[in-house]
Amino acid sequence: MYPALLKELLRNRSALTGLILLALVMCAATLGHVWFPGDPWDMVGTPMLWPGEDPANPLGTDIMGRDMATGLVSGAKVSLLIGLVSTLISAVVGITFGALGGFYRGWIDAFLMRVTELFQTVPQFVLAVVLVAIFKPSVATATFAIGIVSWPPTARLVRSEFLLLREREFIQAARTLGMGDGRLILTQILPNALPPVIVIAALNIATAIQTEAALSFLGLGDPNVMSWGTIIGNGREQVVDAWYICGLPGIAIVIIVLAFSLLGEGLNDTLNPHLKER
Amino acid sequence: MADLLAIQGLRTWFHTRAGVARAVNDVSFAIQPGETLALVGESGSGKSVTAYSILRLINEPGRIEAGKILFNGTDLLKLDDKGIRSIRGDRVAMIFQEPLSAFNPVQTVGAQIVEAIRLHRRIGRRAAYHRAMELLEQVGIPSPAKRVHEFPHRLSGGMRQRAMIALALACEPDLLIADEPTTALDVTTQAQILKLLKSLQAENGMGLLLITHDLGVVAETADRAAVMYAGRVVEEGLVATLFTRPFHPYTAGLLASVSIDDLPPGARLPEIPGTVPSLLVMPRGCAFAERCPYAAGTDGCLDHAPAFLPVADDHRVACFRTPPTPRPPLHAEATGEAAGALLPLDAAARVVA
Repeated sequence: MYPALLKELLRNRSALTGLILLALVMCAATLGHVWFPGDPWDMVGTPMLWPGEDPANPLGTDIMGRDMATGLVSGAKVSLLIGLVSTLISAVVGITFGALGGFYRGWIDAFLMRVTELFQTVPQFVLAVVLVAIFKPSVATATFAIGIVSWPPTARLVRSEFLLLREREFIQAARTLGMGDGRLILTQILPNALPPVIVIAALNIATAIQTEAALSFLGLGDPNVMSWGTIIGNGREQVVDAWYICGLPGIAIVIIVLAFSLLGEGLNDTLNPHLKER
Repeated sequence: MADLLAIQGLRTWFHTRAGVARAVNDVSFAIQPGETLALVGESGSGKSVTAYSILRLINEPGRIEAGKILFNGTDLLKLDDKGIRSIRGDRVAMIFQEPLSAFNPVQTVGAQIVEAIRLHRRIGRRAAYHRAMELLEQVGIPSPAKRVHEFPHRLSGGMRQRAMIALALACEPDLLIADEPTTALDVTTQAQILKLLKSLQAENGMGLLLITHDLGVVAETADRAAVMYAGRVVEEGLVATLFTRPFHPYTAGLLASVSIDDLPPGARLPEIPGTVPSLLVMPRGCAFAERCPYAAGTDGCLDHAPAFLPVADDHRVACFRTPPTPRPPLHAEATGEAAGALLPLDAAARVVA
């Protein structure tokens, strides 16, 4: 099943484009420091060198003379890390809430869904800002905050899937085999509910990366870590004189968000049986 | 012989907004080890609810209100959750009408059998896979080593039902409940599956509760039959007796409606007049009284429900007319002839044969 799925995914144009872009960013994040070693915070050259002006700093330097390329490579790592881990957090919380609510229904469902609605009524970004501000800004708190604000849509989706799937005959059949609730949820219902969750998770990563950049732009990022948002935030006063300082990390964000959005769309086409015929 | 399963006074009621639906109302019957009991009746007569009650798989708003379900002497209704789970799939297994929807679509057939085995037995994954292949071979699936890794939708309908039976037999249950196992299959496959069930039963001596509305299947497969009507068992006995000498007018009507071989071409098919009463508003008396050709002259039928009493050895009937004439003249008014015009003793006997 899985090799077949991968094949179908690679035939899908948007998924393939997304995967290629994602592979590029991943290469930059993992192998980038081979070409651009050193601390992104070190002042290594003349400030505000334009890209291409000095071969030692191929993408130029910022107002403090820090190498842009080193900063972008470091930002790629941070973006991917925060995007993936915070989405993992939101998926775990969302699946837990949705699964328990959809499976047990009744007062458990009512309680869990009221909590979900509570999170949905507060604007996501404001809540993330408040959470990061309360704790000390760091990669860990940013990841945690982004994860905590983004789980409600996953919870609602998983709940609706569970409500449908729990009535299917194979669930009753699994009960006749003597399965308990935990096993029913984990081995019978969840695998069947997963495809749309995977799609929403891919799109979630894109949103999480944007949120992280926004937090860093506002100065709520980890002060010891150079992320794309930080570079844009630092470069915003020179945006007229040296647009590349904001522009290059901006393009990087566009690429990675596009990568995950395309991948999510492609996954949706492949995993959603209703769209198969298109 | 001690009963394998004895159901006594079972009541499963559904508390709906429109009222209480008495889906199963005072049902009693027993199955011996190695015996096949057919539970016969039309849709909504309570056959399936009875079966699900045995495994306590009744969902809200349904509730088992009263009764005992003695399985090898233990009352299944008194077990705690863990206790009943250890019975399900291990001692009592079930197969379903539509095998495709009864399998998990994202797991291979083998993985599901392995999981069923490992739920109840402490055995390694590799050994369980080996056992799964044996089971698939036992139910007559060719090249089981390959099929074990197949997803359910890749198998044909008959193959799927065989795989379903293999899944149910995973822990060698004492009782197999088959809920309309052949209804979704074509006639040739149907015969194969029934033959398979019989031979498996002969091999490991399990009891079989066969739920069906198909009297042909009953005649072919079952030792005894219990006829259900509107939540009650109205007649129970050996299939041979039941088919040749039905006591209850409903049983007689059912048999008449399938023995149509002797009818002249173009003749109106025999039917039982009227419809089943709503489970929400059950009549005070016998549920069949309104459709029964004998009830008109008997006051008792409309006022009291008849008790379920023996009329002969291993033959019980819930009817005031017991012991009635062996061949009750149903549909006499339809043909304008006298008693016995349509009910074909010989035709019924042929079905048995």
